[in-house]
Amino acid sequence: MDLLAHLRYFRVVAEEQHFGRAATRLRLAQPSLSQRIQRLEREFGVRLFDRGRGGAVLTPAGQLVLAQSEAVLDAADRLRSVVERLQDGEVGTLRAAVPAHLGGAAVAALLTAFQERSPGSELDLRELTTAEQTAELAAGTLDAGIVRHPCLAAGLSFGPMLHQPLGVLLRGDDPLATQPEVDLRALTGRGLAMPPRANSPALHDETLTACARHGFTPTAIRTVEGLEFTRALILSGADLVALIPEPPPEPGTTWRPPTGRPLSWRTSTVWRAGHDGPAVRVFAEAADLALRVHAGMYAAPAERPRATRPETEFAL
Amino acid sequence: MSEAVSPSSATTRRAVTRINAAFADAGVAGQLHALDIDSGASVSVAATQLTPTSSLHKVCLLVTLYREAAAGRLDRTRQIDIPAGERTPGLAGLAVMRDAVRMSLRDLATLVVAVSDNAAADILWRAVGFDAVNRTMAELGLTDTVAVHDMAAIRDALRAQPNLTDPAAFADISVLNPALTNRSTARQMAELFAAVWRDEVCSGETAEELRALLGLQAWTHRMASGFPFDDVRVSGKTATLPTLRHEAGVIEYPDGGRYAVAVFTRAASTASVLPAADAVIGTAARIAVDALRSP
Repeated sequence: MDLLAHLRYFRVVAEEQHFGRAATRLRLAQPSLSQRIQRLEREFGVRLFDRGRGGAVLTPAGQLVLAQSEAVLDAADRLRSVVERLQDGEVGTLRAAVPAHLGGAAVAALLTAFQERSPGSELDLRELTTAEQTAELAAGTLDAGIVRHPCLAAGLSFGPMLHQPLGVLLRGDDPLATQPEVDLRALTGRGLAMPPRANSPALHDETLTACARHGFTPTAIRTVEGLEFTRALILSGADLVALIPEPPPEPGTTWRPPTGRPLSWRTSTVWRAGHDGPAVRVFAEAADLALRVHAGMYAAPAERPRATRPETEFAL
Repeated sequence: MSEAVSPSSATTRRAVTRINAAFADAGVAGQLHALDIDSGASVSVAATQLTPTSSLHKVCLLVTLYREAAAGRLDRTRQIDIPAGERTPGLAGLAVMRDAVRMSLRDLATLVVAVSDNAAADILWRAVGFDAVNRTMAELGLTDTVAVHDMAAIRDALRAQPNLTDPAAFADISVLNPALTNRSTARQMAELFAAVWRDEVCSGETAEELRALLGLQAWTHRMASGFPFDDVRVSGKTATLPTLRHEAGVIEYPDGGRYAVAVFTRAASTASVLPAADAVIGTAARIAVDALRSP
């Protein structure tokens, strides 16, 4: 038995105190309405109405059931409206992720902006690598995220591409630290501290290719994760540098932009193609703003390849 | 077809694991189908996933040209006058040549395989027709292999998207969406090459000529790079679109072993020069062929 529907019939009969008028209001045949009320009476094991020639009068048990059923029907209406807003992305929990090293200020601004724009909804935010995010988006366990590019794009949609310039992290007493910027060619003979290639093979290769293009081929790659360990390695050995976004200043190391700003991390919001409900859009807008204002990222025109090769097949 | 003599399932499983690791290491998502042409044994990675074929569909076009010629419906030595203007642009062959020429259908086919000549391909698309190509694929049982675009249409779709280094813009490019463009699967592309080598497309002298034609490709940076052996023949055809790099072909060993292989990749990076993504096509093909050749 559909209890909620039967309680609604019961409430109308109680309001009208008459089966015929109630049936007209409900657009039901009177015998059908009578059967439904009898079914409810059988279900509860009590008589709800005294049926007389003048109409239908609630019994004392019926009055008690009416009071309780109002509460049940109100709760059901609230549940329905919450579910509708949930489907519209107004409330509920958005499962989202950010990559490491985004900066506390940017993540805090993202959380604040999301709550302001989407009151009543929860943001379940985790720190995941780009590869973990694309896997979880595909599996349906993540709704939205912030990824570093290059990233495998099949089945995904992205927000605007934002750039974050990389600079050279040097020992404070490095001769190159005396200049306002570093010519990458001057790093010849040095090693480079980088995160493990397996974290993001495409980004790793892209970074080394851009370095080579601007005259710097490191003598060795030193695998390192995390800003603290990177700083420690650079402090302990003169022949090592790292390429990172501008970190908070700390004594002992110096950050210098490279001449021509040829290196940047590209970052964007991401969600499953075709799954951009209001909550995802609010997250994407809040994230885009937080990254621009608090992480120093900016949009830059994408460049077309200028020297396409015959095996590319199409002149782009 | 003779009964399939498959390599042991443990060998196949190991090969699939290594192929997936090689794809990840190269920063690509990939599909592969490798087929022992004589035993029917195979190694597959996501081989039935529909994928844009772009220039790989030129193989379907040439197969149809030779099948129609063998059936006497078309003369592959017919001369075509090709004026200087109105050629589909490209990066090699007639597409970049300046003056009028007169050339036979089969010599146009040679340019299509050798340097993926887009202008020559579109002249053949007009001579052979989409209907004949799609009908031929259906007759060969390759029902997921469908052509809707000639090379000019693909070029126009790419030109319409000004931002080919922005992954966010890629979702809008029709020629990267298999539902909207020339499409097939790794499995069916390998099966198409196997059909040519088994004389199922045509036979005799015509078939010999078609196989010789498919061995003329100039590029060796993809499939052939995985088989750096002087006594192993690699015939194949590449396809390239922003982030997509494919090749399908046949690997022939002097002991008689012959394997039809198709490798499709989609790279994370939007760079147009990406040697690791090219090379992994050879690496993956070699792992698969080694598994098929293992005792």
